[in-house]
Amino acid sequence: MKEIIKLVIKYHFTIIFIILEAICFWLIVRHNEYQRMAFSRQATRLTGSISSMMARVKTYTRLDEINRELMEENVRLKNRIERLEIVRRDASWIEQSPADAGAIHEYFGAKVVNITFDRMKNLIVLNKGTSSGIERELAVATPAGVVGFVLHTSDNYASVIPLINVESRVSAMLKHGSYYGSLQWDGKDYRYSYLKDIPRHVKVAPGDTIVTSGFSPIFPKNLIVGRVEEISEDNTNFLKIKVKLSVDFKSISDVYVIKNHRKEEREKLEEKYAHE
Amino acid sequence: MSNAKNYLTHLLVLCFIQIVVLDNIHLSSYLHVNIYIMAIFLLPYRLKGVPLLLYAFFLGLLMDLAGSTAGIHAAAATLLAYIRPRLLHLTAIREDMDDARGFLHKVDFAWFFKYVSLSTLLFNIVFILAEAFTLGNLLLSALRIISSALVSLLFILLYYFVGLKKVRR
Repeated sequence: MKEIIKLVIKYHFTIIFIILEAICFWLIVRHNEYQRMAFSRQATRLTGSISSMMARVKTYTRLDEINRELMEENVRLKNRIERLEIVRRDASWIEQSPADAGAIHEYFGAKVVNITFDRMKNLIVLNKGTSSGIERELAVATPAGVVGFVLHTSDNYASVIPLINVESRVSAMLKHGSYYGSLQWDGKDYRYSYLKDIPRHVKVAPGDTIVTSGFSPIFPKNLIVGRVEEISEDNTNFLKIKVKLSVDFKSISDVYVIKNHRKEEREKLEEKYAHE
Repeated sequence: MSNAKNYLTHLLVLCFIQIVVLDNIHLSSYLHVNIYIMAIFLLPYRLKGVPLLLYAFFLGLLMDLAGSTAGIHAAAATLLAYIRPRLLHLTAIREDMDDARGFLHKVDFAWFFKYVSLSTLLFNIVFILAEAFTLGNLLLSALRIISSALVSLLFILLYYFVGLKKVRR
């Protein structure tokens, strides 16, 4: 016993070092098990005021650009209203589909208070949470395209796994041709991601638009993801398509959170099959 | 007394630069600039043992909180503190070590450079691997380690020549 105590005293420096590193390791592992939100919520509370202030300053310097983006979107929406107005007027003879895609989705606006894009596992924090109706696994997008999906929520904040997180998998397809694959980030450049599992025989050209497939209940169909930048063939029977993401993660400040009101119904149905 | 005040100034300036400026400049995923580890390099030599470890651990934890990472900075900074006494003995000439005041005062640049570059490299190895949390894609990780270590070292040397000289006058 005495010997053990002597040993402990002799090597206490190393022992305490190991204990501290174990604590760090525990923190990192927890974070890797998607427990990160609990930690970053504390962090947001502590540094929240600084982050919010910086976000405000950043937004202010980009007002021009944001104005232009809003204007463009307004124009698009107005045009859409006009077109729908025509449809409505002639509704008597047009057979309207009851499952009108627009009706099942609800949009929320939110501001980005914190974002990283130089890590492998990037994360975005939004200033809206459960108190504003945000839930887990809702789609997040900007007028330009898909941003990611909600991972965790607190009362006033939500964390978002962006497309530029190596753990993010989004089902996406070619707008023309309807072949679909899985969009995966490689952890290198926040501007590009990769679309995998597109069969080799499919004709793809640089500049083709990539959109969400709508196969996962999270993302609505036909949200823009990006454009084809480069096509390469790996050793398998599938193409590896480099996609230029249409969202510029470096200048992101306002986002939409999209809620699918039929998601639960759909998941229940899919679960039913899985249990059979 | 002025020594402690001096150190505190450096600590605050370094943390400020790290949290407010560097954490908000995202050059690329290959370049992580961590200048706050300079605050560990600048500690007086007489600070060693458990206080040194705890100091580095909490400094790292502070950076984790600021950057909303979990444990990554703390793990790397604690390692820095652990190897510091050994590395100092390894790189230093005996009589330099007897000067208890640390790099703040008497500094032989060659020694400082040797110690700091080795430490920075080790820090970045732990930092990048802990962040990626995988041993897959080692080539990518190695690239990120080397580029991050180089650019961090650059900033640290810049601080050494601009910041330290100024305060010391």
